[in-house]
Amino acid sequence: MTVNDSFREMFAMIELEMRRLRHDRTEIYTRAIQPILWLGVFGSVMSQVNAIPTGGIPYIDFITPGVLLQSTIFVSVFYGLTIVWERETGILKRLLVAPASRYATVIGRSIASGVRAVVQALIIFPVALLLGVRFIPNPFYILAAFLVLFLVSGGFAAISIFVASVMKTRERFMGLGQALIMPLFFASNALYPIKMMPPALQYIAVMNPLTYAVDAVRGLMISGDVSRLAIDMTAIIIFDIVVFTVASLNFRKIIE
Amino acid sequence: MTLAIDVQQLTKVYNGRIRALDGIDLEVKAGHIFAFLGPNGSGKTTLMRILTTQFRPTSGQASSFGLDVVRDSAEVRKIIGYVPQETSVWADISGFENLLIYSKIYGVPSGRRKKAVRQALQRMGLEEVATNMVKTYSGGMVRRLEIACALLVEPRILFLDEPTIGLDPSARKAVWQNLTSFKKEHGTTVFFNTHYMDEADLYSDEIAIINRGKIVKSGTASELKQSLRSEILRFYSEDGNNVDERTLNDIRDLSMVSNATLHGPRLDVAVEDGERALPLIIGVLSRAGFTFSRISSAKPSLDDVFLRYAGQINFKEGGDDL
Repeated sequence: MTVNDSFREMFAMIELEMRRLRHDRTEIYTRAIQPILWLGVFGSVMSQVNAIPTGGIPYIDFITPGVLLQSTIFVSVFYGLTIVWERETGILKRLLVAPASRYATVIGRSIASGVRAVVQALIIFPVALLLGVRFIPNPFYILAAFLVLFLVSGGFAAISIFVASVMKTRERFMGLGQALIMPLFFASNALYPIKMMPPALQYIAVMNPLTYAVDAVRGLMISGDVSRLAIDMTAIIIFDIVVFTVASLNFRKIIE
Repeated sequence: MTLAIDVQQLTKVYNGRIRALDGIDLEVKAGHIFAFLGPNGSGKTTLMRILTTQFRPTSGQASSFGLDVVRDSAEVRKIIGYVPQETSVWADISGFENLLIYSKIYGVPSGRRKKAVRQALQRMGLEEVATNMVKTYSGGMVRRLEIACALLVEPRILFLDEPTIGLDPSARKAVWQNLTSFKKEHGTTVFFNTHYMDEADLYSDEIAIINRGKIVKSGTASELKQSLRSEILRFYSEDGNNVDERTLNDIRDLSMVSNATLHGPRLDVAVEDGERALPLIIGVLSRAGFTFSRISSAKPSLDDVFLRYAGQINFKEGGDDL
């Protein structure tokens, strides 16, 4: 198994996801509804209240990074469902019998999900613009923000694949997927600054990878304050490495 | 000559108590089509999954062309093709796209990829539906696409788990026609699990029957059928005269005959080997003055072989009706 083989397999997995997306985009559109409601309804209403210290940023602008991340992470967290489905059919057995490493399979699938998630964010992005969110007019910053979205989504897809290989059935997976997302969202700085949280929740927020992702995307897209970007990126990359490794180690067990 | 598959004293115990495989020994010659028969839950799929490196055996050894399925699993995966029992293609993309993705996963070089995909489609008779979405395919087409995917890399051994389950007779035939012609061309070894005795009979060079984790019988289809020693010869009386009790006993006394029974004007004789027993029986009958208009012979089918060695029903030796 050479590095070359692994890359080839990863690209094949990304290509698969792109081809599926080309045939059927319904999911991408329906999944865009919820984040658009967060921005359009929740964001607009809360903007009137002025109860949350956002550092002078309009509230809707403040939550845009969090909502973008939530929508991409939604795609990733439920990516495991695809894996559960592929387990129920014979696809996973077949992939694991192919001359490819499980690392390449897991990372390839995670990256593929990351790509899908970025496509999801690209749909919400113009809606946010229409709602009057003011982004930093620097294309490099925006690109970097999308890179963060991609890296974080890939990481959550790996978690999802790990959960799929433990849970193995659709029902159990759905339960855990639902139980994971909203707490993750609420225990982060997506909707309010960490300082406003009760101390116990603050500890959780500091351990939550979403906090670093929101911080990085907010800095790049909205506030222009990138002073903590290095810390944020380090946290995200450590997160990715850990989850990719754990998910890969466990992956063969999925077919047992 | 290296064996395509060599299995020695293989066992697999699930959760420390369920013995799925209980000391399997098996040899498959290169270029052969090998049929593995057994009732549900007998260990067929477990063996296939060990041979295709999905599971590790609990003890014993298994190798493909000299490569150990545990120690050299990465090498084994390069020479095998595998089609699981369940659907193993993506339904939401086209057949062509499935082959393209698999060709990339299997590492078919980009220069040869298009040609390999086209050939695979052609071999399995799927050219016309190549660009259709797989979800519009019939069961037989899906199965042929799956086999096409496995043949992309021209494997040395092809593992098929219940390759034609749920297909109608014409779809089954199409699958086998495509498979046998590919096999003829490339000399690929084929190892398949099945419930369909007629397929094992028609297409396999060798058969093994597994029951409760043990191989209970193996050999060619005709060897297995002969092993039952229960051919039935039927003599139909010309004039409606029944064979008398004395003659019946004389026939029963012949060494090759295991039983003889009367069914109205028809005499049934169960024998080990019909070709050799027939002249002797005719001799006894003609000495007693009986003539017959017609003689037929019912050889045991592979179904009978299966029922005898793996069935739960007791097969009555030389039973009065087959």
